[in-house]
Amino acid sequence: MNISPIVASLLVVVLPFSAFVIQAILGRRSVSGNVALMAISLSSILSAGCVFFVVWTGEATLERITWFTIGTKSFSVGILLNKLTVFMQLLVCIIALPVHLYSRAYMKGDDGLHRYWMYLSLFCFAMLGLTISINLLQLYIFWELVGFASYLLIGFWFTRDAAVQANKKAFLINRIGDLGFLIGIALLYAQVGTLDLVELFGKSGFFSTETAVHDSLQLLDKNSAWITCAGLAFLLGAMAKSAQFPLHVWLPDAMEGPTSVSSLIHAATMVAAGIFLLCTVFPLFNETVLLVITGIGTITAFSAAIFALGQYDIKKILAFSTISQLGFMMVGVGIGAWDTAMLHLATHAFFKCLLFLCAGAVIHEMSHVKAHTNLTFDPQDLRNMGGLRHYMPKTFLCMLIGALALSGFPLTAGYLSKDSIVVTAFEWAASHGGSYFIIPAALILVSVLTAFYIGRLVFKTFFGSFSFREHIAAGKPSLHEPPSMMLWPMLFLAACSLFPLFGVQPLAYQQTWIIRGFHVEVDYPAQHAAHLFIPLGLTIGAIVAWTVGWQWYVKQKYPLRVDNSWVQWANRQGYLNELNDTLFVKGTLKLSDLLYAFDRYVVDGLTKLVTWVTQRIAVFAYWVDKHIVDGLVNLSANTTYYIGHLARHVQNGQLQGYMGFALTAVILGILYLIIK
Amino acid sequence: MISITHFLVVSAIIFCIGLYAVLAKRNAIMILVGIELMINAAILNFVAFSRYDKINYGGQVFALFAIVLAAAAVAVGLAIILNVYKYYKTIDPSNINELRD
Repeated sequence: MNISPIVASLLVVVLPFSAFVIQAILGRRSVSGNVALMAISLSSILSAGCVFFVVWTGEATLERITWFTIGTKSFSVGILLNKLTVFMQLLVCIIALPVHLYSRAYMKGDDGLHRYWMYLSLFCFAMLGLTISINLLQLYIFWELVGFASYLLIGFWFTRDAAVQANKKAFLINRIGDLGFLIGIALLYAQVGTLDLVELFGKSGFFSTETAVHDSLQLLDKNSAWITCAGLAFLLGAMAKSAQFPLHVWLPDAMEGPTSVSSLIHAATMVAAGIFLLCTVFPLFNETVLLVITGIGTITAFSAAIFALGQYDIKKILAFSTISQLGFMMVGVGIGAWDTAMLHLATHAFFKCLLFLCAGAVIHEMSHVKAHTNLTFDPQDLRNMGGLRHYMPKTFLCMLIGALALSGFPLTAGYLSKDSIVVTAFEWAASHGGSYFIIPAALILVSVLTAFYIGRLVFKTFFGSFSFREHIAAGKPSLHEPPSMMLWPMLFLAACSLFPLFGVQPLAYQQTWIIRGFHVEVDYPAQHAAHLFIPLGLTIGAIVAWTVGWQWYVKQKYPLRVDNSWVQWANRQGYLNELNDTLFVKGTLKLSDLLYAFDRYVVDGLTKLVTWVTQRIAVFAYWVDKHIVDGLVNLSANTTYYIGHLARHVQNGQLQGYMGFALTAVILGILYLIIK
Repeated sequence: MISITHFLVVSAIIFCIGLYAVLAKRNAIMILVGIELMINAAILNFVAFSRYDKINYGGQVFALFAIVLAAAAVAVGLAIILNVYKYYKTIDPSNINELRD
């Protein structure tokens, strides 16, 4: 086909949007989801065939038109196709496609199905638009759209109070991040005067390392305070979107949405937007910001892994696992090797999507059991599962592949990407020395914890004996494999979670086409021993963790009491929600009470006082005006009047009167003359 | 022996009577009479003082002249009074006060 990459990528974005519009118009008549499915399929084909392969092997290209002009500054809107953007776009398409297929079976019979497809298309449109935006402002708009679509999808079952609370929470916390992003945009614009990604970060952009060569452009001091602030503001934006500690609290709650949504949005695409943003604006960051990013990523990875250990809800474990893996990606960006972050993003997208879809299949079947047996139990609770591998072996196989990939076992994609981050982090620490080794050490520990909690999930779900076995009819069990419409996407993703998709070398991450394609230079030397020992250590750690999990959960040698306070602590997510509740919600309420009282008594009081004083002054002024000013005027007026009145009597028209006066005057004159 | 003082006293009395008539009478004709009295008092003074004239009979001639003038003035005054009466239907000067403010 002779479609230029620009047109093709535009089509990729527009197709889901037209699907959204069509479904919005059709309303309840479009419940099949064919429109959305067709749009995303076409998008995937176009994205892969006409955009990705052309740009990845060829030159970056762009197209922009002037959007609006303020003064002499004009804002452009357009499409930027470089390796990063086309890769991200393809990834979103490839993940969205199986999820769409899966949703057809998973969401079948839901009342609001027409809304579901509409929202899903809207989300795909926003996410795809986000990936290829050329302007940060344009990117911000899509960023907000992604947040909004996610809000709609989390609250899809809006009759459930928990869902409503969850989408509100997600929206509010994302607002914090959006604010950071916006501040970052504003700071950057104030410093540089453009928001165009090419002008900022392109080959001869403001932040390019080759700026010194192009001395026609002004040289920017990356270490200036404002640039640091801008970097931190962008980080805040990414932290909320990519669920980094302490803004991660929305993601576990967002599991209230349909599982297919969780897998698409909260594992593979939306949360990746934050990482993608950081990779896009990577040249902006200086050492300080990068160190903060690394720190945040490590804390996130560690805390989320701990919290994942104590969860019983199958989706919440996966949610915390997502947060933890996003922390890994953050570290990847923070240590300057954002290619490893993108690699992990890609592999994670596949296996986490797979894990969620499998979890969805399990929940789907558990719900069937619940409906058939008329029992009341939580179909998402691990404690109600067990032994499911006998009933749904294919799902078990897929879940196992996903879990192994997440644990980072060799031959899986997760092995490549996780090792790439840990090894690079180790090299980074080795070049910095000293306390920097905390980072790779923490990452290794988190990897082991990851292996343990995902092992726990697999063992508790698929091994042991099923809790409600006696309730299932022996001949025609209500617990069985999910329909093929759900199985095929899972099998596809399971295949993608293995190493061949990423490179022919199963053990060397440097050989993956993603790392080679992005070709990021880091300024610290490679440690060859690390490339050998760290993957080996991680694998051994993972095996040990799985063994311990096997002993604890399958062999029933669980050493801890259920009400162990540490488990409780992890289960309640470190009481972070309670802390937020006390600190921010109650604090805000208290503050507003205080402000109300302040407003009521101090501000209103002042106003009333001023009013009262003004009134008194006005009364006084009235009195002065009436009695003194008017009095003076009236006095002079009346004086003049009375004088005039006196003189008036003389001129009475009486001829004889006049004569009398004349005579008097003459007599007075004579008297004067005599006396003188 | 009648001296000049007697003449002057009589003249002053007549002048005062005339002045009174002018100021106090409620009839324009009586005012005109008062004016005539005052003129005659002055003429009497002319005649009385003519005794000391350097030129003979100067004062008496002036008196005759003044009498003629007074007669003319009375004619004019009566004419005015007649016109006033025609206009106001009264000759009481206190009723004719249109000169006031």
